[in-house]
Amino acid sequence: MSKPCKLTDHSTGESLFMDEALEAIWELQEKSGTASFNDLINMMGHHSRLERMQKTGLFSLSGDAITLSEQGHARARDIIRRHRLAERLFADVLDIADYEDDACRLEHALSREAEEAICTLLGHPPRCPHDKEIPRGECCAVFTRKIKPLALNLREMEVGKEGRVLFINVPAMDRLANMGLVPGAIVRLHQKKPSYVVEVDQTTLALDEDIAQGIYVKQQG
Amino acid sequence: MDCHTTSSTQKNKRTSREGLDRIVLVGTPNVGKSVIFGLLTGKYATVSNYPGTTVEVTYGNAFIQDHSYLLVDTPGANSLMPMSEDEQVTRDILLVERPAKVVQVGDTKNLVRTLGITIQLAEMGLPMVLDLNMEDEARERGISVDIEALKKILGIEVVSTVAPERRGLRDLKNAIASEGGVPEVGLRYKDLIEEYIGQIKALLPRTNISRRSLAVMILSKDETLKSWLTGAAESHVVEEIERLRAECRLRFGRSLGAAINEARMNRASEIAEVVMSRETVEGSTALAWLGRTSMHPVWGVPVLLAVLYGLYQFVGVLGADIMVGFVEETLFGQYVNPMLTSFIESYLPIAFFRDMLIGQYGIITMALTYAIGIILPITATFFIAFSILEDSGYLPRLAIMSNRIFNIMGLSGKAVLPMVLGLGCGTMAVMTTRVLETRRDRIIATFLLSLAVPCAAQLGVILGMIGALSVKAFLIWLGVVVGLLLFTGYLASLIVPGERSDFMLEIPPIRMPSVMNVLRKTANRVVWYLKEAVPLFIYGTLVLFFLDKVALLGVLESALSPVIVGLLGLPKAATAAFLIGFFRRDYGAAGLFALSTAGMLSPVQTLVSLVTLTLFVPCLAHFFMMIKERGARTTLIMLAVIIPTALTVGGILNWVLRAFDINLL
Repeated sequence: MSKPCKLTDHSTGESLFMDEALEAIWELQEKSGTASFNDLINMMGHHSRLERMQKTGLFSLSGDAITLSEQGHARARDIIRRHRLAERLFADVLDIADYEDDACRLEHALSREAEEAICTLLGHPPRCPHDKEIPRGECCAVFTRKIKPLALNLREMEVGKEGRVLFINVPAMDRLANMGLVPGAIVRLHQKKPSYVVEVDQTTLALDEDIAQGIYVKQQG
Repeated sequence: MDCHTTSSTQKNKRTSREGLDRIVLVGTPNVGKSVIFGLLTGKYATVSNYPGTTVEVTYGNAFIQDHSYLLVDTPGANSLMPMSEDEQVTRDILLVERPAKVVQVGDTKNLVRTLGITIQLAEMGLPMVLDLNMEDEARERGISVDIEALKKILGIEVVSTVAPERRGLRDLKNAIASEGGVPEVGLRYKDLIEEYIGQIKALLPRTNISRRSLAVMILSKDETLKSWLTGAAESHVVEEIERLRAECRLRFGRSLGAAINEARMNRASEIAEVVMSRETVEGSTALAWLGRTSMHPVWGVPVLLAVLYGLYQFVGVLGADIMVGFVEETLFGQYVNPMLTSFIESYLPIAFFRDMLIGQYGIITMALTYAIGIILPITATFFIAFSILEDSGYLPRLAIMSNRIFNIMGLSGKAVLPMVLGLGCGTMAVMTTRVLETRRDRIIATFLLSLAVPCAAQLGVILGMIGALSVKAFLIWLGVVVGLLLFTGYLASLIVPGERSDFMLEIPPIRMPSVMNVLRKTANRVVWYLKEAVPLFIYGTLVLFFLDKVALLGVLESALSPVIVGLLGLPKAATAAFLIGFFRRDYGAAGLFALSTAGMLSPVQTLVSLVTLTLFVPCLAHFFMMIKERGARTTLIMLAVIIPTALTVGGILNWVLRAFDINLL
């Protein structure tokens, strides 16, 4: 379960506070379709600050129900996207077990450029590690039309091509490492049928589709 | 670094209880370690299970420069941080057996992986020699290693060999006899990890390998070390070590095992970079072409069929037909048996004992004739063929080709190894199910081996009998057995709890098998087989002999006849074949063969009896191996499924063949 980001010193700035509030509203709406102002207060505290936030025009209230304005929706969408991309980055690539706090910090710090670079590196992932949807960004829209993602798994890679391993996300990671299949290594995909066969340096390995799916490479040539 | 402090104690020669210095051979799988072992030891080797496991470890004596050594050949290991039982045995041997020297056999062309293990051995503080084997394969690929430079960097003896050609063997012997030392690899982990290595090291008891290496293993969360640690240290120390490990993991923020592995691999790559040079080589060899073709989605199939045909010609025709014909009919039938019979008849006056030796159920006329006349030629040719397949590197390619078929049965392509071996000897195959990673895979493979995979001896007799009928009869037999194999495998994959293990297999290059190694392996397997089989043949025959003498055989035959005669439509005499089949499945098949040659079985009866016997309970040795490997409860459950299944399928087949009046000739 992803917990809402804790309000720490870094959230005291008004802009950061608003980011956290918008993120919470997005998650409430995602969970039950609508977001109640009472629930938001229960979740975050800071009643008066939330009341004040209404005046910014990021959201409006009809009774207890929150409606995000166009501007508010866009900003919430961005912050959620950055948070979930950060989660994927920490969980898959950097292999950090306890990534939630870092993801909370990173969501405020990423520029649009960095966000798109991470999204591309990860192969425009559709869902976060908690299986929630990652809102699509501009880079994802372009990707579906013409640009191939930077990170492909072996299933998506072309036979006969080489690629540099970016990250590996399978339970058998340690055994693969002992065979020389580690991030940074160059793999050549020899065949996909009847089983996957890859060459790493002078080692030839046969793999299941399940494992092949978890090995992400940057295809070369 | 820590290696220095321990190396002084390592220099004192370590001597084993037998008074011989121990030399332990270590290396990744498929690097020709056993060939090197054979060259160093000559023909004397003993294979035994490592205590508490069924992993085989080979011991042999070597005489090198006026000095006798005890050589220990460990199972192939990709890492000394065990991920498999094999690797654990290798690590444990290094941990407890006090080797005077370690000889690491490595793959020249795969220098990074080789050095990855060298680094782990260096960390353990063990004096060692590095043998870069298969220099010819590296040269073919344009890879060369500067041995002198590597010697300088590591500070140990490094030699280059091509084992099957005995090239570099003298250098290797000289290196083994030399003083030797602990390699200097200059590896430092991240500061935080080093800090905890220091703290944990201080708590560890003194052992054969350096405390630093044990601390690194603990930080990598090596669970296999736990039992050793609880035995070697007091409980509060163990708890403190566990606390330090958890703290380090938390502070480090990512997997320690991965970071440690990465550091080693990076250092190995750095060293390899300095000493290795590559040039591009044009074209490729015929063996490389064969290697690619044999796993091609389309062309791999004809290769597979050709291999099966070759196997059939070698084992089915040469072994089961020509050699059995010669040994059984000519050697035993015309010389051995008549001679022994006349000898015993003239010198053994007591009829009872005479019958026991040379009667219908006699130890010589039945047990030994079958064991040596029929079974030995078939298994020997099979084991030669299997050793060739194994050493040529074809078996892993067979696993690639068959992975999807095995997926239907809830297994991975890896299961092809025990399954093919099962076509030789089911007992040995059940033991080999250890190559499978999960308990679930092992249970399914054991079950299928016990139900539907006939062993070579049985197969030889079955093919002989069916061959006398027609191709149609053979196809029906094959269809029923393979169909049942897939169907029950599929059901088992749904019933047996757990996940299918992932399929990950290293594919070695196709190689020309070394004749010496094939013969040595075959000899070991044949000796093992004779030791297991011949006593069981004799016990089985004795039981039948006594059952016959007290007329119980007749009673049992009558008791079982509703099933045998009623359900399967077979003659009453076939009961004995099924009873005897429990002692050895092949023995049962041979019993049916005798009935059939005596003209007592119609074509339908022949087919039904063969299908039933193929599926029927495994032999006694197989049964004991099942209990040993899977436990009595699981084994009994399996039998409770297998016996009714065999009889039901046989019964249905009998009914169908008769109801539709199918002509098998």
